[in-house]
Amino acid sequence: MEVNCETIKHLAKLSNFSLSDKETESLTGDLKNIINYISELDKLDTDGIEPTYQVFEMENVWRDDEIIKQDADREQLLALTKEEKDHQIKVPKVL
Amino acid sequence: MKYYPTIGIECHVQLSTKTKLFSEVDNDARGKEPNSCVSPVCYALPGMLPRLNGEAIKFAIRAGKAMNCEINASSRFDRKHYFYPDSPKGYQITQFYHPIIGAGYVELPSGTKIRIEHAHLEGDAGKLTHFDNYSLVDLNRVDTPLIEIVSMPDIHSAKDAHDYCKELWRLMRFAKVTYGDLYNGNMRFDVNVSIAPEGSDKLGTRAEVKNLNSFRSVERAVEYEIARQTKILEAGEKVVQETRGWSDATGKTTGQRSKEEAKDYRYMPEPDIPPINLSRQFINDEAAKLPMMPSDYREKFNGKIPTDILEILLDYPELMEKLNGIDEKHITIISNLFTSVLLAEEKSAEYLNDLPDVKKLSDLAEMNEKKELSSTATKEVFLRLFDPQMKGRDTKAIAKELGLIQENDLGALEAIVDAVLAKPETKKAQDDFRNGEEKVIGFLVGQVMKESKGKANPSAVQQILRDKLK
Repeated sequence: MEVNCETIKHLAKLSNFSLSDKETESLTGDLKNIINYISELDKLDTDGIEPTYQVFEMENVWRDDEIIKQDADREQLLALTKEEKDHQIKVPKVL
Repeated sequence: MKYYPTIGIECHVQLSTKTKLFSEVDNDARGKEPNSCVSPVCYALPGMLPRLNGEAIKFAIRAGKAMNCEINASSRFDRKHYFYPDSPKGYQITQFYHPIIGAGYVELPSGTKIRIEHAHLEGDAGKLTHFDNYSLVDLNRVDTPLIEIVSMPDIHSAKDAHDYCKELWRLMRFAKVTYGDLYNGNMRFDVNVSIAPEGSDKLGTRAEVKNLNSFRSVERAVEYEIARQTKILEAGEKVVQETRGWSDATGKTTGQRSKEEAKDYRYMPEPDIPPINLSRQFINDEAAKLPMMPSDYREKFNGKIPTDILEILLDYPELMEKLNGIDEKHITIISNLFTSVLLAEEKSAEYLNDLPDVKKLSDLAEMNEKKELSSTATKEVFLRLFDPQMKGRDTKAIAKELGLIQENDLGALEAIVDAVLAKPETKKAQDDFRNGEEKVIGFLVGQVMKESKGKANPSAVQQILRDKLK
């Protein structure tokens, strides 16, 4: 897989990060190294092997459909946001 | 040139579980304050672990069975990444590779079958409200369980698109998996429309109209798209593949100039939710809980309730359940009474909030059939059955209190007269009267009075007898 500055810019855009040129450049180098290292795995023949969803072989972990009082209430959660208005989270215009 | 439309529909259904899909917080935000039905999981606070709601799995099995679908024993969750303020996680937990509901079909009232490609479980996103220079986010809807139902491109007209959406709505409500409140977005439709020259084996380029929330807008949007695309092709131009928005007010779809870059959701297995592996037994147990579906009722009431009336009643699952308990011989009159209320009464749906019990309805039908109540009186008593003040009383008591029992009514008397005339011991008197023996009328009136236990009006009886013996 080829990694270049465009890859990093694309990923940054998808994640809504703004990166300086310098950061873009250094991240490109980092990601190249990481991909290179992971690419070792390409040498393995994985035909017909299912993707790993669970490493501990757990399955069917679910709970009952009963409401439990939450540890954090509305005000506490809203207090974590940058800005609130009328009990809602205020964000820059998105449409 | 004639063009042939091809339509596929994706439908999101909000499940009416008590709690959300991934945390134990209230899932019913109707009439509640913004951001009051949220948990740290909905906020995606660091380290929060989603905990899957087992009931949603059961709901999905029922929903799938309602659409004649295979239920996949093995299903999994994946992350679909995107950045938008409606999703604090930065991704949606969905089932991209291994959905719980496999292939099936929905049969429209017309008999047309629309195949279901698959349906999957996923969490809903939050709700955005846009203002001039900012937007507000309400996370009440985050992680409400959804099933997304994906149809095959088997729909070829605006009417079938409408009927398919409506039938899905019915199926999901009969299966009791959703409140089915369209106005509040409990079911939302994305419609893919393309047209191709008639006879062509290739599909045209499609446009997707997103986020429709009524059957009527689905129908209108499809009609509009067919006309729009026909015009483009006839002008020798090309349809652009794009997402379009619909406006009920203008009756038009408009291109949503979303960035043209290809979608890149970077799907990956959801590591926080272990795979689901269901036993046959588990699936069958849940499937067995599926109540009667519209198609079952169509079969059951075929020939007993006229199709057009049945299709009105089929919008009301609780009513159909009630009718299912009514004796077959009363079904015509009872279904007609409900239909007349639904079509004529103001706020008719409110009548269905608290349905009278089967016994009261059957008694009413019986009184009507015995002509104790005229048809007008039957309707009046029927409406009173919904009256909270009449709650504790049985049908007969209500009819009596309203003075509607028609012992003096000509219809009721006629029935008694007919019964008396059918008796062999009155045969001679009837013949004598026809031969001019005027005085035997007194004997016959007497017989009718006896039969009515003295309740009949003698002069009315004499009049009826004279008419019958002409």
